[in-house]
Amino acid sequence: MFDLIYQYIADLQRSEPHLLKVYISGTLISISCSTIGCFIVLRKMVFLGDAVAHAMLAGVVASYLILSVAFGREADAAVMILGAIIAAVITVSLVGIVSKVSRIKEDTAIGILYTGIFGIGGLMASAFHQYIHIDLLHYITGTVLSTSESDLWTAAIVTSVVLSVTILFYRHLQITSFDPIMAASIGIPVVLVDYMLLTCTSLVVVSGVSTAGIIMVIGMLVTPAATAYLLFDRLSRMLFAASFFGLSSFFLGYYLADKAAVTPGPSIVVTGMVQFMVVLAIAPKYGLIANQLRRYRTIPQTLLEDILGSIFRSPDQKATIGQIQAHIPSPAAKIKNALGRLERQGLLDNHKSEYSFTESGHKEARRLLRAHRLWETYLERLGTPHDQLHEKAHHLEHFHDEATVDYLDDKLGHPIQDPHGKEIPEDFVHLQVGEVVKASLLRENWQGKIVELLETAKLDKPCAIGEVITAQKRADHGRQWVFQTNDRQILHLNHNEADSILVVVLGQLSD
Amino acid sequence: MPINDPSKSGHLLQKEVAIEIEHITVSYGPVPALLDVSCTIAKGELTGIIGPNGSGKSTLMKTILGFVKPDIGRVQIFGLGADKAKGKVAYVPQRGAVDWDFPITVREVTLMGRYGGVPWWKNLSSSDYAAADEALEKVRMADFRDRQIGQLSGGQQQRVFMARALAQGADILLLDEPFAGVDAATERAILEILEQTKQEGKTLVVVHHDLATAAEYFDTLLLLKQRCFAFGPPRQVLQPDLLCEVYEGELRVFADLLFSERKSSNV
Repeated sequence: MFDLIYQYIADLQRSEPHLLKVYISGTLISISCSTIGCFIVLRKMVFLGDAVAHAMLAGVVASYLILSVAFGREADAAVMILGAIIAAVITVSLVGIVSKVSRIKEDTAIGILYTGIFGIGGLMASAFHQYIHIDLLHYITGTVLSTSESDLWTAAIVTSVVLSVTILFYRHLQITSFDPIMAASIGIPVVLVDYMLLTCTSLVVVSGVSTAGIIMVIGMLVTPAATAYLLFDRLSRMLFAASFFGLSSFFLGYYLADKAAVTPGPSIVVTGMVQFMVVLAIAPKYGLIANQLRRYRTIPQTLLEDILGSIFRSPDQKATIGQIQAHIPSPAAKIKNALGRLERQGLLDNHKSEYSFTESGHKEARRLLRAHRLWETYLERLGTPHDQLHEKAHHLEHFHDEATVDYLDDKLGHPIQDPHGKEIPEDFVHLQVGEVVKASLLRENWQGKIVELLETAKLDKPCAIGEVITAQKRADHGRQWVFQTNDRQILHLNHNEADSILVVVLGQLSD
Repeated sequence: MPINDPSKSGHLLQKEVAIEIEHITVSYGPVPALLDVSCTIAKGELTGIIGPNGSGKSTLMKTILGFVKPDIGRVQIFGLGADKAKGKVAYVPQRGAVDWDFPITVREVTLMGRYGGVPWWKNLSSSDYAAADEALEKVRMADFRDRQIGQLSGGQQQRVFMARALAQGADILLLDEPFAGVDAATERAILEILEQTKQEGKTLVVVHHDLATAAEYFDTLLLLKQRCFAFGPPRQVLQPDLLCEVYEGELRVFADLLFSERKSSNV
C-alpha cells in the first residue's frame, strides 16, 4: 500500500512536480483548517472567523507597503503573514472592546469593524497601487494552481503550529470552549487561551486564503468541522473526522475541477457543502432521515392511553383492532405498533386477535378513567357546557400524574360521581390496606382505624385514636362525610374535618 | 442587631470562615452590577442567594469564582486571595448556560474536575480517571458515563455537574439556579444531593429564585439587589417589608396578573 503511494509520488515528482506541491499544500491546509474549524464551530464564532479572513487583507497590504515604501524591498511571505495576524488580532480586540464598553452587541461590532478594516485595506491598495506588485485578486478568490514554494512553507509551518497547539492544549481548548467560568475558577488563563485560538485562526486563514480566497476560506474552516459535528459525540473523534472531511473535499473538489476545467477553489468549497448535505441527510443520530424515522417510530403516550380508554369502554372490555380503529383517528399502522407496545409492557393480552386487559392494564385504565372523570367534574364546575365536557376532558385526561390528580380530587371535594352520573374510581394509589390516608378518601363501606387527629379542624365529635370507623354513604350531595364508629355512633363531618382525621386503611367491608 | 451589617452576624463567630466577601463593587459599563457587597459565609453551611432578575446574583458567583474581577474590594477563600485559592471552589452552571449539544460525554465532563491539578504538559493519570468514576458512582450516574450530555434528563444532567464538582474535591460548591426548570421529583433529588454534600462538611452556595422554598432549603440567605439587603437566617431575611423593597416592581406585576385573571374568570 505505502509502496504504491510512494511510487505514485515519485512518478508525480518526475512528471508534474508542480502538482505535487499543490497536493502537499492542500493536504496541510485542509488538516489545519478543519482542526481549528472544530473549535470555531463549537464556540459559535464563525462570523468572527469570517471577520479575521477579511481583516487580513488590510494587514497584507499594510505590511507590503511598509516594507516596499520604507525599506524599499519586495515583501516576502513571512512579513505579510505577520501583518495579517496583527490585523486579525487588532480586529478581534476592537470587537471585544466595543461590545464590552457599549451597548452594541458582538455581532454588530464585528459587522462594523471587519468591513471597515477590509475597507482600509482596499483604500490603501488603490491609493498606493503604483507600489503594489502583488496580485490582490489572488487573495480574494484564491488560486490553488499558483502554489509557490513560500506558500508551501507557510502551510507546513502553520500546520505544525496548529497541530502542536491542539495536542498540547487540548484540555484547555476543550474546557474554555465548554465552560469558561469553570476554567477560570481552576486557574486556566481563559483570555490567553482565547487569543491563542484566535492566533491559530488567523494562521490557518492566512494559509487557506491561497487556496480558497478570502471569501470562501471560511467554508474550508467550518464545513468539514460541521460535517463531523453531525456524526460524533466526542471532541477527539470530531477533530479526526473533520480532518478526513477536509481532505476528501479538497481532493474530490480538485479532481472534479481538473476534469471540468474550472477553478479549483470554488469547486473544493462546493464539494465540502455537498458532502455536508449528504451527511446531514443520512447521519445516523442527528441526520434528517434518522430524525424522521424516529418521529415515525415514536408512539405518543396519548395514543397508548386512548387505546386503553377505548378498550375499557368496549363491551366486556374486549376489542379487536378494527373496533379500536373505529374510535381512534390515527393511522392503522400506528395503532398496531401501539398495541404491540402495550402487549410488551404487560398491560394487554392478545387472545385470538381480541385484546383484553391484564391485571395491571386494568388498573392503568382505571387510573386514566379516574383522571378523565375528575377533569370532567372540574370542567363542569368551571361552567363548561355539558356537550363539550367529554371532548375537553379527553384532552386533559393525559395530565394524570399523581400530584395533579390528587390536587384536583382534593379541590373538588373528593367527588364520587362525574357530571354524567358515572362513578369516579376511588383513589387506589393511596387507598390501600395498611396505608395511612385522610378519612376523606374512604369510600362507602371502607374501614379505617384512626391513628392521628390533626389540629387543623376543631373536632367536637366523639372520636379517639385507635377507634375503627366505617364510611357510610355520603350525605348532602357528597359534601358531607358520614362515618359509623364501633359503638354504632354516627359522625357527620365536612371536608375539612374529614381531612383532619388520619386513618390506617383496614379494608372494604363486603356487604 | 442591624440586619444590613452582615459582617457582625453573631452566629458566625464560632465557625470557621469559608468565603469572606469584602466590600465588592463590580460594574459592566456605567451601572454597577454589585455595589459594596460584604458577607461572611461559614464553613459547612448551605447558603442561598436570592433576589430579583438582574440583581447581580450570577455576577456575585462569577466574582467568587475569580471569573470576574471586582473593581473595588476582594474575595477570600479560606483566608486566601482569589488567585491562590484556585480550584478550591467548584462551579455548577445554570442549565441555560450549558451547550448541551457539545460533543462531550458524561465521563469527560466529570474529568474536567481534575484538570486543575494536572500541569499542561502532562496527561491525566489513572488516579484522575478513578476519581471521576468514583464521583459518578456517588451521584449514581456511572451507568451513563459514555452518554453524550444532551441525551440525559434534567435531573441527570444536574447530577453530572455535581459529580464534576465532587471529582474536583473542592470544599466549596457554587450552584447557579440548580432548581430552575426541573420537575418536582428532580428538585427533591437535587436537594438530597445537596444535603448529602453538606453532611460531608462542604460549604454550599446556591443561587435561588423561588422565595416560597427559600426558607425551607437554606440555613442562611443573602438577599441581593446590587447591594446586600440582608444576610442571615431565613426568618430574619424574609421580612415582608424588606422583600417589598427589593422586589418592588415585580411583586406588583404578580399581583396585577392574579387580579386580572380572577376578573376574567368571573365574566
